[in-house]
Amino acid sequence: MKVVVPRELAAGETRVAATPRTVKRMDRAGLEVHVESGAGEASGITDEAFSEAGATIVGDRAGLFAGSEIILCVKPPDPETVTQIPSGAVLIAVLDPLIEHEVVSQLATRGVSAFSLDMVPRIARAQSMDVLSSMSTLTGYQAVLLASMALPGIMPYLTTAAGTLHPAKVLVLGAGVAGLQAIATARRLGALVWGYDIRPVVKEQVESLGAEFLELIDTSDAAEDAGGYAREQSEDQAAQQRRAMTAHLAEMDAVITTALIPGRPAPILLTTEMVEAMKPGSVIVDLAAERGGNCELTRPGGNFTSDGGVTILGPLDLHCSVPAHASLMYANNVANFLLHVCRDGRIDVESDDEVVRGTLVTSGGRVVHERVLEVLGATES
Amino acid sequence: MPLLAELVPMSTEWLYLAAAVLFIVGIRDLSSAETARRGNLLAACGMLLAIVGTLQHGLIVKWEWIAVGMVAGGVIGLMMAVFMPMTAMPERIAIVNGLGGAASGLVGICEVIRHVIMRPEGSTAPEFSAFHVGVAGLEIMLGALTFTGSMVAFGKLKGLISSKPMTYPGQNAVNVLWLLAMLCLIIGLVTGDLNPVFFFVLAGMALLFGVMFVLPIGGADMPVVIAMLNAYSGLAAAATGFVLSNKVLIIAGALDGSSGLLLSLLMCRAMNRSLTNVLLGAVGGPTGGVSGGDELQGDPQSISTVEAAERLFDARRVIIVPGYGMAAAGAHFAIRELADVLKERGISVKYAIHPVAGRMPGHMNVLLADANVPYDDLVEMDVINPEFADTDVALVMGANDICNPAARTAEGSPIYGMPILDVDHAAQVIVIKRSMSPGFAGIPNELFVAPNCAMLFGDGKQVAEQLIETLSL
Repeated sequence: MKVVVPRELAAGETRVAATPRTVKRMDRAGLEVHVESGAGEASGITDEAFSEAGATIVGDRAGLFAGSEIILCVKPPDPETVTQIPSGAVLIAVLDPLIEHEVVSQLATRGVSAFSLDMVPRIARAQSMDVLSSMSTLTGYQAVLLASMALPGIMPYLTTAAGTLHPAKVLVLGAGVAGLQAIATARRLGALVWGYDIRPVVKEQVESLGAEFLELIDTSDAAEDAGGYAREQSEDQAAQQRRAMTAHLAEMDAVITTALIPGRPAPILLTTEMVEAMKPGSVIVDLAAERGGNCELTRPGGNFTSDGGVTILGPLDLHCSVPAHASLMYANNVANFLLHVCRDGRIDVESDDEVVRGTLVTSGGRVVHERVLEVLGATES
Repeated sequence: MPLLAELVPMSTEWLYLAAAVLFIVGIRDLSSAETARRGNLLAACGMLLAIVGTLQHGLIVKWEWIAVGMVAGGVIGLMMAVFMPMTAMPERIAIVNGLGGAASGLVGICEVIRHVIMRPEGSTAPEFSAFHVGVAGLEIMLGALTFTGSMVAFGKLKGLISSKPMTYPGQNAVNVLWLLAMLCLIIGLVTGDLNPVFFFVLAGMALLFGVMFVLPIGGADMPVVIAMLNAYSGLAAAATGFVLSNKVLIIAGALDGSSGLLLSLLMCRAMNRSLTNVLLGAVGGPTGGVSGGDELQGDPQSISTVEAAERLFDARRVIIVPGYGMAAAGAHFAIRELADVLKERGISVKYAIHPVAGRMPGHMNVLLADANVPYDDLVEMDVINPEFADTDVALVMGANDICNPAARTAEGSPIYGMPILDVDHAAQVIVIKRSMSPGFAGIPNELFVAPNCAMLFGDGKQVAEQLIETLSL
């Protein structure tokens, strides 16, 4: 089977969907890998490295896609690229199908079987294919470094002859993968760390990393849905939470927000009023900027300093700032997924496998994913 | 001998006092592995003094019977001590407990026959008061239920009876009602409303109760049950002491009863169970939560910290498999220290890091790095998996799904197809865990009942610290 790895065209995208190591694995599995020239450039992977691993390097894009059966991408392909994908081919990428309806319908019309890796079910055996988890690991880590660079001081507690430096107080809102990684990283930089999440079950996980869990209000088990993701809270609860949170925020030097709800805009955790209560010089890193942000003042993709001197960073695609590791993890996820679904030289899109059912968005000219159909139906009516 | 009693007034009482002191000191010594041998010896000396004291009591009817009993008992005891392997210790304790209970029960019955049933017509001697009747009732009840309960426990441990918990709906209610009925019988006997023949009914009911209350308990929980039965046999002995007005029996029985109770409380705590749970006899596996088809085939074997330390001590290669349990218990520093102690003894120690161990990517790395574990000791799954076959002990520390063999074989399992650490390929596996509860995926783990696997129940940090302490002796 011909597997192609095109160069990512989206602005700011530094990742590539394969590495020499995954090329080797696919090669061993009998797949014929073609990589577009320069695809790995931003991640520091040369064409030579790819070809040494057994890939064929292709210069022209039309030639790359001709006859391709499996296409490995990072971002959803642009409309022009979609027209180059042969009908009936399999696409593996991060499509964000609950939000990006247009590309989903284009792919359906084109007759592409599209798997979206951000829809991988959160079960133990699919962990190795879970791109959200891998990318969140990187963004969680990077967010703390960003915060640390933006802070007017350093993080650890140091008693010196020239005076005592008090440790930075860091609050991480949302203890998912990114949040936990942020907690671990902030701890390792020497900060005092608090974690908060509306799911009380993660209290133990926060504490296992040496941070304290912020207890705001009575929490209930209802906040975690069957897929292990946070669910949207009721208005009343959110208001209560905000009031209690404001008091804690005044103490913090850095706040990292990571709250996302699949398929929805990010919930507002920090209102303008709450930011006003914070110390001048304190920093907010909003990892939910892509979905509008957890802070009312967040400018997605930009920085903003409030009247009260609070710096709010709204980085997008933070994992792209560490392309080598982002590509390594992403490519491994892709290869794990591909080698899982590709059995005996073919991909069975009819399979009952939970991983296939959870990720297959379009097939046979139609949208087949239940949740995506639900969202599509809701927007049409 | 009777002469001696006259020459040394109260010598029996003095001997009993000395025996009691020796019992107490002996028990104290038993609380640490270092002094346990001495403690055992002291308690045995105490027992000898108690026997000597009793022999010069002056109320001996026939020396011949005593001689026969002592010789028979002595020979059986000696044979058990010499020929029974150390691994059969729980079974041995079950038998001894049961026989102790039986002895108490029989003494109770004899006393009742002597004083109540065969009481000479017209005798008004206040020798056997209502108090004595009550204590004799308790003695018969506890003695009888200890006897049958211990025999069932023995059968379960030995595999003569299925060690799976045998349960039926309303079991606890039946057991509690049964117990209440027996207590009512005793009250009736004390007030004199019931014919003394009901003592035999009581004995019969207690014999049945012993069976009923041990049957629903699974093999892995047998140690707790044995400790409880130990407490019951102690209480029965104390009751015997009251019936016979024998002080050393009261003291020894009370010591036995309280130490048995304390032991079972400690074990309950180590297994994360409440005592009510145990007292109601519902300790067989997680109550309620087990749905059909999810149960494990077989029983986990549980070992003590000392045994685990011995196995580690004898090993050449050890692989530590950390999981979320280690993180939750904050045991990473203790584990590092344990590894250091093992390394000092020339044992090779590595850590097998599963890619999904913990609740976030890299969870184990972050914590172990915090505890200064050298990066070289952390080995990835693919690299370490072939090494398990050449490993003496795989020490699983709060990990579950990532070493569940169901991932290889059980199609349809939520973890089927997930690569796992091949810990079961190691010669021995020791799993440190708070309880048998399942991990993130919510499925039981066959590894825990594998023949080469032993469970070491307890909080990860505490267990690791105890292991360090034991190994450093």
